[in-house]
Amino acid sequence: MDRDRRLRRILEVIPGSISWGIILSLVILAVLKPVACAVIIIIFDFYWIIRTAYLTTLLVMAYHKLFGQRDRDWLAQCRALPPERNWQRLYHLVIFPAYQEKPQTLRPSLEALKQSTYPKEKMIVVLAFEERDPQARANAGILEAEFKRDFFGFLTTFHPDGLAGEGRTKGANATWAAKKAKEFIGSKGIRYEEVIISCFDADTCAENNYFACLSYHFLTSPKPHQASYQPIPVYNNNIWQAPSFARIVEISASFCQMIESMRLEKFVTFSSHSMSFKTLVDIGYWPVNMVSDDSVIYWKAYLFYKGEYRVVPLYVTVSMDVAYSSSFFKTIIKQYRQKRRWAWGVENFPFLVTGFLCDREIAVVKKIRRGFHLLESHVTWAVWAIIVVFIGPLPILVGGAFFNQMTIGYNLPKITGLLFHFTLFTSLTWIILSRTILPSRPREIGWTKNILMIAEWAIVPFIILVLGSTPALDAQTRLMLGKYMPFNPTAKKE
Amino acid sequence: MHYKEQKIRFVLYWLSVLVFLMGLPSILSYALGYKFNTRTLRFTKTGLIALKSQPAGANIYFEKKLFKDKTPATINELLPGAYHIKVALEDYYPWVMQVAVEAGKVARFEKIILFPIRPNIEKLSNESSLSFWIDDKRDSIYYVSQENNSIYKSELDTQDYRKVSDFPHGVSAPIKWRLSPDGEKLLCFDLHQLLLVPLRPQSTAASGETKVLPLDVMQGTIVDVFWHSDSYHIIVVTDKNIEALEAMRSSKPVTLVSLNKNSTCAFYDVRADILYFLDSQLAGDGKIYDNIYRLDLNSRFDPFRELMKLRTNGQGQKVKKNP
Repeated sequence: MDRDRRLRRILEVIPGSISWGIILSLVILAVLKPVACAVIIIIFDFYWIIRTAYLTTLLVMAYHKLFGQRDRDWLAQCRALPPERNWQRLYHLVIFPAYQEKPQTLRPSLEALKQSTYPKEKMIVVLAFEERDPQARANAGILEAEFKRDFFGFLTTFHPDGLAGEGRTKGANATWAAKKAKEFIGSKGIRYEEVIISCFDADTCAENNYFACLSYHFLTSPKPHQASYQPIPVYNNNIWQAPSFARIVEISASFCQMIESMRLEKFVTFSSHSMSFKTLVDIGYWPVNMVSDDSVIYWKAYLFYKGEYRVVPLYVTVSMDVAYSSSFFKTIIKQYRQKRRWAWGVENFPFLVTGFLCDREIAVVKKIRRGFHLLESHVTWAVWAIIVVFIGPLPILVGGAFFNQMTIGYNLPKITGLLFHFTLFTSLTWIILSRTILPSRPREIGWTKNILMIAEWAIVPFIILVLGSTPALDAQTRLMLGKYMPFNPTAKKE
Repeated sequence: MHYKEQKIRFVLYWLSVLVFLMGLPSILSYALGYKFNTRTLRFTKTGLIALKSQPAGANIYFEKKLFKDKTPATINELLPGAYHIKVALEDYYPWVMQVAVEAGKVARFEKIILFPIRPNIEKLSNESSLSFWIDDKRDSIYYVSQENNSIYKSELDTQDYRKVSDFPHGVSAPIKWRLSPDGEKLLCFDLHQLLLVPLRPQSTAASGETKVLPLDVMQGTIVDVFWHSDSYHIIVVTDKNIEALEAMRSSKPVTLVSLNKNSTCAFYDVRADILYFLDSQLAGDGKIYDNIYRLDLNSRFDPFRELMKLRTNGQGQKVKKNP
């Protein structure tokens, strides 16, 4: 094993070993020193409640921004910009990487583009299929016939399977498509600086003012090429039809992204987002062998621009499908796998630290801060629910008569119970906000569903139990053991 | 725009940190039982008393003064020492205790039962009763009426008695009752006689009278009688042997074990059909030892099945004892 590979393996082991170290230390402590363990649990619980309250406040702020900007006429604002910031020179390149997605999944996404307020003669759409998908060419033909005339450019690409150095990842497909689009853009004499690329999941339906909003922010941002532009992902396409379990999970995911949009120094791209095409070409496209292409592209640009790269939050939504299946159990499995794939973003840690070690220009403090944030967020994800749900009661269960006769043994359940009563207030805020981001109820859905959609929040403890930390711990353990995850796209509808 | 929000966020962040840093010492000191003494400016380790009573809502008198909370309650931040505690509720006997409190520990009194001064006694039968029995499922009560020699049955939570059987004149009062597991037969026995009383109403309907069947016991004085789980076989323990017989007229008992000890005692586990009993055995050193034995009478257990077959020949077989 060469030096670089050895270093990478060490870095891959770090997140998982820290998470497991925390969990096992607390379990051992609960057995050997239950009082010390109880003290740590109380500190953690208190920290967690303060953190939840803080993050919920950020969520309310993000919500306020989202709804404050909802009815804004972004195109009018683009028009009002001075001539040196001419919006009409901008082209939007939209790539939809697809694998095994049927035309009925892609059609609403393309329809949403057609409904956009932004001029379609300034839009280039690329449907990026995988050549290994036997239905790809037929599906491409159907969609091409329907939409080819609606946009300035409409390309269909077929990513060959098994190219040297590539994995079967979305990033590899998107990179292939972006290179094909580059040829098209070059052939039309369009400058790369004037193209904004959006890489959308196949089921992504952008809000009609998304591209106008994106153009405005691109034109008004300082150093627009040194930024990615992140909309708020919501899962509204089928939210009224989805089962409670999946709906709550996806609403929570949207909320987490809204919270992240308020923490700019930690904000990283996620799922569907946009960036300068010039930047994409300069940094060498998406990595072709990593699963978490959506976040690693940010880190790639961050390293390329020596730390001078940021994510600009866009308070417009892009809507996707809730992932669910035909039965409750299958839905849990599907959601678990999707969250584990998201948690596989922990592979960014070795990527980033390796990049930092090769870099001589980014300030050390900045490197430590960003590296720590990345590590801390993944470790916290992997341990918090396990500490709260499983380790919390452990001192009482294994501490025996000695612990139970101690004051802390008596007070522990009372204090943790009382502390978590405070979270009811934050839960209430989440419930209210969840109602406001819902699309209007389809006619075929009865009004009683409204009641269910409030009552279903009662299953949050179960969701925390199943999906709170385990997918993240699973992903970190796999990375730690070198069992690399293949890219498994989540089939959203079954 | 972003600047303003980031400024608000900055304030919120540090406010959260402040709340955490200020709140944590209070929470931890409370959890660990520390009390801050404002005079000495020092933390003192205290203990607490936890009280829970049945019924709840009783007044607590701490050092003869009424405490603010009613049971269940916790009296916190107590310096080590002895405290007089009284838990009182109107119409109940009070619970009084001198409680020793240790630093950092909890004195738990969470099983206090306050007994009523006037117990809640309810009359369940309207006639003079000779004896009664409650079935194993705890949902029916049977009693023998002394006046008309009948057996009555009622649900435990009602007084809706109905006659289930006659109890013939001239039979001396039984000392013990055993209801069969299926609830359809009753065994009444004293030292010398064993009676089988069918409880099914239809058995009385045909003849107008319940047929109480006296069962034969081979020899000796009856010590105890048990139903087999099949509600058909009866295990009789006498001072001379252990017998099995069927719950029917002219059933011939089979001797399962001949006992050496006259005053044995026995327990029957009806779930597993195992009889535990006491008996004497002459050991190799010439001394007699009393030991506990178990006899497996599960119908799946071959010896019992074989013994039951032997009944037809009127033969007995002694089961080998495992010391």
